[in-house]
Amino acid sequence: MNKAYKHKVGIPRAMSYYNNYPFYLGFFNSLGIEVVLSDKTTTKIINEGSKYVVSDTCLPVKVYVGHVVNLLDKGCEYIFVPSIQSTDYKINNCSKIRGLPEIIRNVINREFTMVEPTLDKTENIGLYDFCFETAEAFGITDKKEIKNAMKHGFAVYNNFFKMAQSGLSYKEALENAINDRFVTQTVDVIKPLSVVIMGHGYNLFDERISLNIIKKLENMDVKVYTSLNVSHEDSINAIENLGEIQYWANELELTGTAAYFLNNHKVDGIIALSAFGCGPDSLMVDEISYHCKENGMPLIHLTIDEHTGEAGFITRLEAFVDMLMRKKRALISKKSKPVSQNAEIVTPEKEKIFASSVK
Amino acid sequence: MYMKAAEKFEKNKMENKIPAKERIIAWPRMGRIDIPLKALLVSLGANVVIPPANSNEALELGVRNSIEGICLPYKLNLANYIMALDKGANTLMMFQAPGSCRLGNYTKMAQKTLKSMGYDFDMVIFDMYKSKMKQTLQAFWHVTHCINPFRYYKGFSLGFNKFFAIDTAERLLFYTRPRELHKGDAEACYEKWLKITDETNSVWKAKGLKKRIIEDFKKIPIDKNKEVPVIYLIGEFFVLLDPYTNQNIEKELGEMGVEVQRQIMFGDWLEHVLKPSLFYRKESHRERSVRYSKDYMKRAIGGECIETIGDTVYAAKHGVDGIIHISPFSCMPEIVAQNILPKVSREEDIPVMSLVLDEQTGKAGYITRIEAFVDLVKRKKRQRNKLLSYTTY
Repeated sequence: MNKAYKHKVGIPRAMSYYNNYPFYLGFFNSLGIEVVLSDKTTTKIINEGSKYVVSDTCLPVKVYVGHVVNLLDKGCEYIFVPSIQSTDYKINNCSKIRGLPEIIRNVINREFTMVEPTLDKTENIGLYDFCFETAEAFGITDKKEIKNAMKHGFAVYNNFFKMAQSGLSYKEALENAINDRFVTQTVDVIKPLSVVIMGHGYNLFDERISLNIIKKLENMDVKVYTSLNVSHEDSINAIENLGEIQYWANELELTGTAAYFLNNHKVDGIIALSAFGCGPDSLMVDEISYHCKENGMPLIHLTIDEHTGEAGFITRLEAFVDMLMRKKRALISKKSKPVSQNAEIVTPEKEKIFASSVK
Repeated sequence: MYMKAAEKFEKNKMENKIPAKERIIAWPRMGRIDIPLKALLVSLGANVVIPPANSNEALELGVRNSIEGICLPYKLNLANYIMALDKGANTLMMFQAPGSCRLGNYTKMAQKTLKSMGYDFDMVIFDMYKSKMKQTLQAFWHVTHCINPFRYYKGFSLGFNKFFAIDTAERLLFYTRPRELHKGDAEACYEKWLKITDETNSVWKAKGLKKRIIEDFKKIPIDKNKEVPVIYLIGEFFVLLDPYTNQNIEKELGEMGVEVQRQIMFGDWLEHVLKPSLFYRKESHRERSVRYSKDYMKRAIGGECIETIGDTVYAAKHGVDGIIHISPFSCMPEIVAQNILPKVSREEDIPVMSLVLDEQTGKAGYITRIEAFVDLVKRKKRQRNKLLSYTTY
């Protein structure tokens, strides 16, 4: 890895970073471009971001703008702001994610070069065009080199995804993937309770935005499943089994994951985590809550914004976990004493048997 | 796998439980689209039910039965469906445009909600974007089972001409209202022509409507020398076109002595959307918007975001005095537009005000903000005129 890098590109630690960073890293490094990351999200970064955008904007976008400003303060000239329009034919993303480069360009009045590739499969702009557009911004137009870089990107990405699916936490999997290691978890930890969190990667794996919800739940002795534990195909199938149609590009993270665990009864409850004012989430959570009601699965909807207080958040989580525990205990105590339903009904035959046994 | 889901979706889109002859059709309300649509469906031989116009009562009904996070247009749509079903309708029609914003999910959600409320009905959904004339025709055939091509010709030309007539009347109303000498003339004239448009039954008469409306509006006495600032209304489609939702902002502005102009007109939009691109020769609104917004946006991001930005730049280059941007709360494309607008306003030197509407919007505060903005626009116009008069001397 001692290559001399020709360029430097800054990637904000927000939005698509959380899902695609391994791919971006492999891709850029193979092209001879150094990747600079912004600092981890802090309250200061959120406040910095909120200064630039109107108040109605949702939290993840505010965070994104904050990270871009952070990168600019670090002295980055190139900043990577992808616009992921659609991931399949007529399966589109939220407008704010589609318009990220538009927002950044018009909101921040500083001089920098924005690398803004588009991925739009509805208009036949595929992943190769996306990568080509990215490389073109750095003056690289050699097709073979770009394809090679894509392979490198996928190698890192696949490693990351395999490790995460085997049960490694997001952080460990990412660290191992970056350092070209492949570790899998062979022992499955069993805890008294298990829940699935349905939420976008950029909300869930950001420790500041999600207020470290995964760790908090693990401290309460709850096993947490996330979208990383479910494969792409499984979540598509799960949505289909529920009788729904995928509409949003990042629906697999939410509805797909929740539907998968709803179908196989692996979890005791579902936690929906979404940012305040998120358009797609409001629909997806509603869809899942409808199916949860049908299947008798407990669900809690946690909404977060920049003012979310940690104390209230914990209280709600604890109450939910307590409720799940009580439900499970009642279920187990019922199961441990198998009593047939008509045991107490006295029939003439039973009376005869009873009488004979007394004699 | 995606294909399978897509096929299933196509099949589910047009339900077929009720025989065509027993269908009683209803559709959600938005402004005055009930007049042309009624003409179209009646000439195809269908029975229709028109739900009452959007009102506080309807909004309350919608809010009660929908989730918290959804946008305002859905709440009103749902209320329209419920009211129509209570009135005896059994078939609901709605268009959708996948890939725009939450609009593509409206029908799916409404279907589920209404079924869980215990209603029994057919929902007919059709895509309507990028010249989808075929699918639209299919939907209307599915609803009415009318096979007479002459009726289709009659229905569609009646519908289109009524749309154009209403649009013309609206445009003239915007022009006349701030200038009229006797207050209320223009409004009365507009109401009168809406009624006549509704009652017109022949294609021949419908084609002549536009001319007659223009002649009639010319008869209203106006003060031609009055200094009237021009304000563009831009923003989200439904909110712009539905007078209840935008609290009749056009009337309020007109009575303050401001000429309102609106680039989004239902007739124009419909013509662009439905006419095959072969016959649509002029530059459409969207194409113009893409051309004008080139400096600020490089891609369309769904909804009316690019139209909003494009219209603002267009207005600034054509001597418009101010812009009011209205959108429902938590509308995703318009939030992006709201973020971009300050820069456009600064660079093109045009005052812009953004208003966000939801079911809790109070009228008094709303009017205060509009009044303040109108004062600002008027002062700016006077200053500019003064400067101009100095330079000429």
